[in-house]
Amino acid sequence: MEITREKIIEVLYESIAELNEQRSKDQRMALSPQTPLGEGSGLDSLGFVNLVALIEEKCDDRFGRTLVLSVPHIDPAAHDPFETVDSLAKFLEVILTDGERPRVI
Amino acid sequence: MKGLLISDFNIENLSAYLKVESNAPQLECQVAPYGQITQNLLDGTLPFWQPSPDFVVVWTRPESVLESFARVLSGFAVDGETIRSDVDVYCKRLLLAKHRVRTLFVPTWVVPTFHHGQGMLDLASGIGVARLLMHANMRLLENLDEHSNIIPLNAAKWVELAGKTAFNQRLWYLGKVPFGNEVFKAAARDFKAALRGIHGQARKLVILDLDETLWGGIVGEIGWQEIVLGGHDATGEALVDFQTELKALTRRGIVLAIASRNDESVALEAIREHPEMVLREQDFASWRINWKDKAENINELVEELNLGLEAAVFIDDNPVERSRVREALPSVLVPDWPEDKRLYPQALRSLDCFDKPSISAEDRRRQEMYTRERQRAQLKNRVGSVEEWLQTLDLTVTVEPLNSANLRRLTQLFNKTNQMNLSTRRMTEQELLDWAERENRRMWGFLVSDRFGDSGLTGILGMAAGDGCATIVDFILSCRVMGRRVEESMLHIAVDWARSLMMGSVQAIYAPTSKNKPCYDFFQRSNFRHESDNTFVWDAAQEYPLHRAVRLLKKAERYGQAL
Repeated sequence: MEITREKIIEVLYESIAELNEQRSKDQRMALSPQTPLGEGSGLDSLGFVNLVALIEEKCDDRFGRTLVLSVPHIDPAAHDPFETVDSLAKFLEVILTDGERPRVI
Repeated sequence: MKGLLISDFNIENLSAYLKVESNAPQLECQVAPYGQITQNLLDGTLPFWQPSPDFVVVWTRPESVLESFARVLSGFAVDGETIRSDVDVYCKRLLLAKHRVRTLFVPTWVVPTFHHGQGMLDLASGIGVARLLMHANMRLLENLDEHSNIIPLNAAKWVELAGKTAFNQRLWYLGKVPFGNEVFKAAARDFKAALRGIHGQARKLVILDLDETLWGGIVGEIGWQEIVLGGHDATGEALVDFQTELKALTRRGIVLAIASRNDESVALEAIREHPEMVLREQDFASWRINWKDKAENINELVEELNLGLEAAVFIDDNPVERSRVREALPSVLVPDWPEDKRLYPQALRSLDCFDKPSISAEDRRRQEMYTRERQRAQLKNRVGSVEEWLQTLDLTVTVEPLNSANLRRLTQLFNKTNQMNLSTRRMTEQELLDWAERENRRMWGFLVSDRFGDSGLTGILGMAAGDGCATIVDFILSCRVMGRRVEESMLHIAVDWARSLMMGSVQAIYAPTSKNKPCYDFFQRSNFRHESDNTFVWDAAQEYPLHRAVRLLKKAERYGQAL
């Protein structure tokens, strides 16, 4: 399957939608490219962990690519991929379309 | 309602689903620090035990609370007796928490579905993981059986429903969450269904359409001989199974009724004559088979059966009818219904609105009782007056003290009755026993029968005496027997007991709810003196007269002595 940014965004939206099922109406995250995923998202540590696990699972199911997303060693000088849905989609597009074996980030 | 979740894994996702799951009741849960099962159960002074939660869930993985099971997973051979012994020790800890809470839920143990175990040896004695898991769960259930406020729940069902996403290894290593979201969602639904059942909110009545619901085809157009039901036909077979499932519901105390747009005689002929009909006339408590609006018919049915709209479920193949009833009667549960009739049995089996903590002998006879009620009503229509009718009933009211034999049924009635209920208290079996055992308190059950049959235990009287006055704390009567002078028999017993203790008066203090106005109306008519807004008083120097149509029997020679 061709991996496009649109399809990645679909996966991110599905992950957010599934996470939203655990959250009350006033806490649900919007399905939009500018929705923050890290700081400003309102997610606590477990919420973030849930989101990450969902994204990994759905990327595996949809694209057949294994992803291990973890953020402890992100270069502070680099742009945080989890800033928004759109920034994460761009980041994953690079990772998922490089044609190599599964990447650990 | 407030809950407490105790676990050896991160159970926050369950807490979230319990909060947002849309069905009643609304829940807020505290999560005890995870991985400290023993401390959390042993120490009742820990802050999350105060105030006492309405319910507690203790959900564990077998390998973390049963040392022998952990050894099995590591490949050691362990005999079933060692597993059972470890379970006994674990259950002793669980039982320490039992008295701190009304309801304690204990999901059964599961192991990950991807755990291949030892393949063909998985059911072998001594080393088979699956077999030893069965031993552990059976022993768990045996230990918990006698404790009515501890409810084991089948976690294996949640795992099956979740399928391949049941166990989430990513979430486990990221956050110590062993299960996928679908498991927690299924668990949340079951916890809520159980809580509704425990608090008397289980649905009691299923109202069914006929054409294209109980059978295929429109009977008025094709005749009963041509309706699709049974035979060597997939749809016909499924509809027979659907009816069989409905009949099984009646054995749990659920009542069936019909609301159908049809000619009554044509529809009843099909019910009587079709050889493959599982449900016959006597399986329905009542029906409205006519050309009127279904919402109107449903209203009439629940009123006739003395049940509230919130007790009813309406099943109809037609989405337009379903939508109409949902809009007109929002308290009636109208589940979405599959278009494919082959899915009807499954759709019925998947409903969780009937869950109750126990099924009594009376539940099993409820449908029969409604049939007899229909006969009583027919008699009432034939005789001239209510008094004459009462005389023809040969009514017997038997009063017996609260005891171990009637405790279950009495508790059920105590918690589900809304209309004729003076104070609408809600208590568990243990709480009722504890209350009734205290000095100068008594509780009795009232059994009613007449020439048409036995209505069973349908009344409860709870009394407390002190300072020269006996107070009617609980005055409860099933709406099935209201208006047959059972109420007066209960007051007769109340006053008699007060007089035996030399009390000067008997008082009843009505606690209003949205549903118990019938109780207030009764006390207003009862000749008790209406002293203030909600207080009614009787001078105990006078007996309270029994109605002449009632024969009163007392099971113990001196009633009120059993507990």
